[in-house]
Amino acid sequence: MIELTGVTKRFDGKKQVTALNTVNLRIDKGEMVSLVGPSGSGKSTLLNLIGGLDKPSTGEIALDGTVLSGLSDDALTKLRRDKIGFIFQFFNLLPTLSCLENVALPLHLRGWKKAQIAERAHELLTLVGLGKRLEHLPEELSGGERQRVAIARALSVYPPILLADEPTGNLDSATGVEILGLIRDLHERLQTTVLIVTHDRSVAESCPRQIALKDGVVVQDRRV
Amino acid sequence: MILLRLISWQYVRKHLLRSLLTIAGIVLGVAVFVGMHTANQSVLTAFTNTVDRIAGATQLQITAGEAGFAEEILERVQAAPEVRVAVPVIEAVATPETRAKGNLLILAVDMTGDRSLREYALEDGDDSFIEDPLVFLAQPDSIMITREFAAENGLRANDALTLRSMDGPKRFVVRGIMKSSGLTSAFGGNLAIMDVYAAQKVFGRGRRFDRIDLAVQEGLRPEEVGKRLEQMLGAGYQVESPSSRGKQFESLSSVYGMLANITSLFALFIGMFIIYNSFAIAVTQRRSEIGILRALGATRGQIQVLFLAESAVGGLIGAGLGAGLGVLIARGMAGSLGNLLGEIYGVAQKAEEVSSDPRLLAGAVALGLVTSLVAAWIPARNAARVDPVQALQKGKFQLLTAGENRTRRVLAFVFLALVALSLVYGEGRLIFYGGYFLSIFAGVLLVPTLGLWLARGLRPLLKAIRPVEGALAADSLIQSPRRTSGAVAALALSVSLIVALGGMTQAAYASIEEWLRIALNPDMYLSPSQNLTDRSFRFPAAFAEEVVKLPGVRRTQLVRTVRVPVDGEPVMVVSLEVASIRKEVRLPVVSGDGDRMYGEAAAGRGVIVSDNFALQHRRKAGEMLRLNTPEGPLELPILGTVVDYSDQKGSILLDRTVYQKYWKDDSVNVVRMYLEEGVTVAQMRDRVAAQVGDRYKYFVFTNEDLRSYILKITDQWFGLTYIQIAVAVLVSILGIVNTLTVSITDRRRELGVLQAVGGLRMQIRGTIWLEAVTIGAIGLVLGWVFGAVALYYALETSARDLSGMRLEYTYPFRMALVLIPVILGSSFLSALGPAETAVRGSLVEALEYE
Amino acid sequence: MSKWVWLLAAGVLWGPDAFGQDARQIVEESQRRHRSQSQQYEGVLEVYDAKGGKNEKRWQYARTGSYGQSKSVLRFVAPPLVKGVALLVHNHPDRASDQWMWTPELNRDRRIALQDRSTRFFGTDFSFEDLEERDVEQSDYRLLGEQVVGGQACYQVEAVPRKTRVSQYARTVIWVRKDILLPVQFEMYVKTELVKRMVHRRVEQVQGVWSTLELEMQDLKKKTRTVLKTEKLKYNVTLPEERFTLQALRRGE
Repeated sequence: MIELTGVTKRFDGKKQVTALNTVNLRIDKGEMVSLVGPSGSGKSTLLNLIGGLDKPSTGEIALDGTVLSGLSDDALTKLRRDKIGFIFQFFNLLPTLSCLENVALPLHLRGWKKAQIAERAHELLTLVGLGKRLEHLPEELSGGERQRVAIARALSVYPPILLADEPTGNLDSATGVEILGLIRDLHERLQTTVLIVTHDRSVAESCPRQIALKDGVVVQDRRV
Repeated sequence: MILLRLISWQYVRKHLLRSLLTIAGIVLGVAVFVGMHTANQSVLTAFTNTVDRIAGATQLQITAGEAGFAEEILERVQAAPEVRVAVPVIEAVATPETRAKGNLLILAVDMTGDRSLREYALEDGDDSFIEDPLVFLAQPDSIMITREFAAENGLRANDALTLRSMDGPKRFVVRGIMKSSGLTSAFGGNLAIMDVYAAQKVFGRGRRFDRIDLAVQEGLRPEEVGKRLEQMLGAGYQVESPSSRGKQFESLSSVYGMLANITSLFALFIGMFIIYNSFAIAVTQRRSEIGILRALGATRGQIQVLFLAESAVGGLIGAGLGAGLGVLIARGMAGSLGNLLGEIYGVAQKAEEVSSDPRLLAGAVALGLVTSLVAAWIPARNAARVDPVQALQKGKFQLLTAGENRTRRVLAFVFLALVALSLVYGEGRLIFYGGYFLSIFAGVLLVPTLGLWLARGLRPLLKAIRPVEGALAADSLIQSPRRTSGAVAALALSVSLIVALGGMTQAAYASIEEWLRIALNPDMYLSPSQNLTDRSFRFPAAFAEEVVKLPGVRRTQLVRTVRVPVDGEPVMVVSLEVASIRKEVRLPVVSGDGDRMYGEAAAGRGVIVSDNFALQHRRKAGEMLRLNTPEGPLELPILGTVVDYSDQKGSILLDRTVYQKYWKDDSVNVVRMYLEEGVTVAQMRDRVAAQVGDRYKYFVFTNEDLRSYILKITDQWFGLTYIQIAVAVLVSILGIVNTLTVSITDRRRELGVLQAVGGLRMQIRGTIWLEAVTIGAIGLVLGWVFGAVALYYALETSARDLSGMRLEYTYPFRMALVLIPVILGSSFLSALGPAETAVRGSLVEALEYE
Repeated sequence: MSKWVWLLAAGVLWGPDAFGQDARQIVEESQRRHRSQSQQYEGVLEVYDAKGGKNEKRWQYARTGSYGQSKSVLRFVAPPLVKGVALLVHNHPDRASDQWMWTPELNRDRRIALQDRSTRFFGTDFSFEDLEERDVEQSDYRLLGEQVVGGQACYQVEAVPRKTRVSQYARTVIWVRKDILLPVQFEMYVKTELVKRMVHRRVEQVQGVWSTLELEMQDLKKKTRTVLKTEKLKYNVTLPEERFTLQALRRGE
């Protein structure tokens, strides 16, 4: 499903930083993988590259057979739109839109009809257990509820790949466990390929496969 | 100082474009100010220099209106003990039949005595011929030209020169060539000297002079001598210094100057908004920076000074650039202004040097500086009030606090109440204009509230158009009124200006066209000059007498217009055959008995004045009007006021017989002709040519010609207002671009999320575009409303202070509608650049942006 | 008409020491001798500019009346461009003279105003003031000494105009020939600068009266000079009073 070959990412600033150094990776369809490492290890960078949010300095990335490097920005966006759902640490919900509207956002961007959007959005929110709080604004929800909305949004078109960057990082431990459980549950039900970036060992260990990064290099790749 | 370099400069460098846009308003305002005033000054200076040069050592000049006075006065003046030298002068404008362009000003003086007042440096010819004053005087066709004129036309001593005057072409012989001097540079060399008595004959002045130039005895003060002479000569004579000759010129020049002030102040005002806006945003964005500074020990005062200093530097740079730009555009403006004003004087006035007064430049720079300081004052104060603890916490930007908003609303309503009061009690100029400014302030204070309401109202519409892009665009506006209210205010003010000027222009046009229809209804006109406003050429009475008798003429009217000082201002006296006019023209009556006033005026028992005269000079029907004439003072009652647009300063309608009696002048400026049924203008034109064509020079104008001529002048005048409009719109667009640039930065995360969840570039652009167009729409709507108020004030100002024209209040709906595509279109255009910036940004940074 | 006019009036030979050193008396006496009741002549005027170019005019001149109260008429006869232009002067003992100019092409006269007297007379080196007759009373005189001028012994007299007289000159120095008591040289000063000099080049007796037949006025600043030659000089001719009026001027007599 996801294949990285010789991927290197360098950041040119006042000092040149090599965030990733010749990474080779292969993730199969339906896997649930955690990317773990200390801050600065390059895990977020890796996630961004896979999600097409950024481009590698050298190397190739292929998603579901399609090589990313040759694609234009719009093509990349379309690919991302169809194949990837994002979950962020800070939720990144649009504060002025209601939960329903936030979830519906990607569908609107695709030009779906109103009736279809409404149906799907309701479906998704029920899926994450928030059937009742549809018209509320994000600021009226708790952290955990917000992340559920974000997850619902990420699932809007039932993408094959789900990328989560520190999904529990901004939640207390109890809520974090809940959310993690939700992700696992969805993974089993929908057979989505899930990639979770985390610095938390316990989160990492809840995934069947754990890839450890340090200083831009894969140091460990084990299955449990 | 160090702070400026370390902190401010970093910020400016990072947001270079935005900083430049911020001061752009100042640049424009100062440029317009400097440009228009420099042009104005240069032309006026050139004119004054010309007057001075022609005047020479003359300290006083005696005139009696435009018609001149009898020769005998000269001896009386010369006999006065206070007078050292007194010489007679006749001035005439003639058209040379040479390849030179433009008219020639002929200064006719007493060649036996004028040297004591003016220096003519005479050039010796190349041949052995010596200039011979005796021959010059003995032969009335003698003329002395400048070296410049001689060179331009290939003339030498004893060459012939034909000049066209009121009585037809005259042949002159060049008997002297003046060396280049201060005198000859007047009018760029288009100046000629001849003997005054010869001029009387050549120009048909009879035994009259146009004026007497004199110098007083040493040790005496000219002003005092002038007063004594006025007493000695009696009413009807003016004794003034040469510089006051430029009064008419100056009054036109001052109107132009006022326009310049209005335009530039407006631009600066809007520029002030943009700066306020920018700084308000900057303060919010730099909260953490401020927090750090305060935590490190900077005092409140230092923070405030820092921001003020930033603004001051920006203001200085902007004003400096603006001044430079202004000097550049002054050249262009001086040219057109010189032509416009020169039409009045008869000979074009070129501003040879366009030099800027250093005081003007200094003043403009100071103005720019003050504007930027005033604009940044409140934001700087807010910056100083930032709490360091709060600032260092990460969190959302400050919204416009509810409390602040309330204060604004309250203040706005207080102002509005005051405005209402001023309208009820507003006779005095101070109260009236005070109300004007308060209304502007009130409007500005209400912009955030009104803008917010409108944005909320528009949200459903925008959502319906594009669910995501539209809703987010509206939300962007709703969430940060502080960011957008500045741009909206600037735009609203500009639109209101356009509406006001548009409404005024429309009303003025309508009024003038109506007047043209009523008053200018003869079939054709005969004028001695191609330039209808040039009154230096006149028909002798004999010409009119011949034309009147031609077959096919149903009626003729002879018009003589002359400027006479009333209350120190040159007012146009229009003398015509009132009884005849009455049968063809019915000017709309403003006050007085319509039937009776014409009858009485025709009998010479009173005058009729124009409405704008009555307004500007504060006279009413029933009052006595006193005019100083060469034959003594003339007091006549004002029989009534009518609508007449003959002159901006007002006109007085007088029967021709009264004019002839008191000014001893039967020349004619224009012959109005009504033709019999079946006779065409072409036919009459031929008949006139057959009758007088060989002896007189005249020009024929049809009714159409005259109307289009007058409308053309009206256009030219209003053309100046379009400059103002362009400036205003330009400044507003800058405001929108500025706002959007900030908005994109604020919305970075949001836009990043949009892209992350699948928003295409076009969709990202779309939300920016929609935001811009929404700002435009809000500004437009508010502008329409403000414009309605501004129109009222503009009409009042025009009536009271500009021209005395009382115009009807008509809201320019069509123009308002035309503004829709203009404003929305330019708003869209202003969004193009920022939208590109938005889609080019790094997604990763956007998403992690805090 | 002018100083030089009364100079042209003849004088009587006097013995060298016929009077005392009194300056005023010298001037008075020289005037008295060279008076006549009337005279007329034809004049030739040559004006030389600074480069030496020459411009010539001719006129007819007639004068009547006692000194200081005389009237004179001058009418140009050549060249054609100025033919017919005439000047009429009425002199008064106690005040400035009245002067009019007549131009046939314009068919009108004009008065020449008092203030204009310092202007040059039609391009010559004479000013209008120089053409006036002034009574002895209008100046104060001082004898400076004696000098030889043009081979003749002369009294040197300084004349300073009194306040009642408006003049462009601060002072004038006159050289009067001791033998015939005829002034033969004048030097005019404006403030302290010498600006003009008038020299009588040729003197002869006409009808028993010593008269100057050639006279040169030099403008020392402009470096120009004007030469006046007299022809057909006659004294004591019958000249009707009426000829010296404006009406006569206008009729072209």
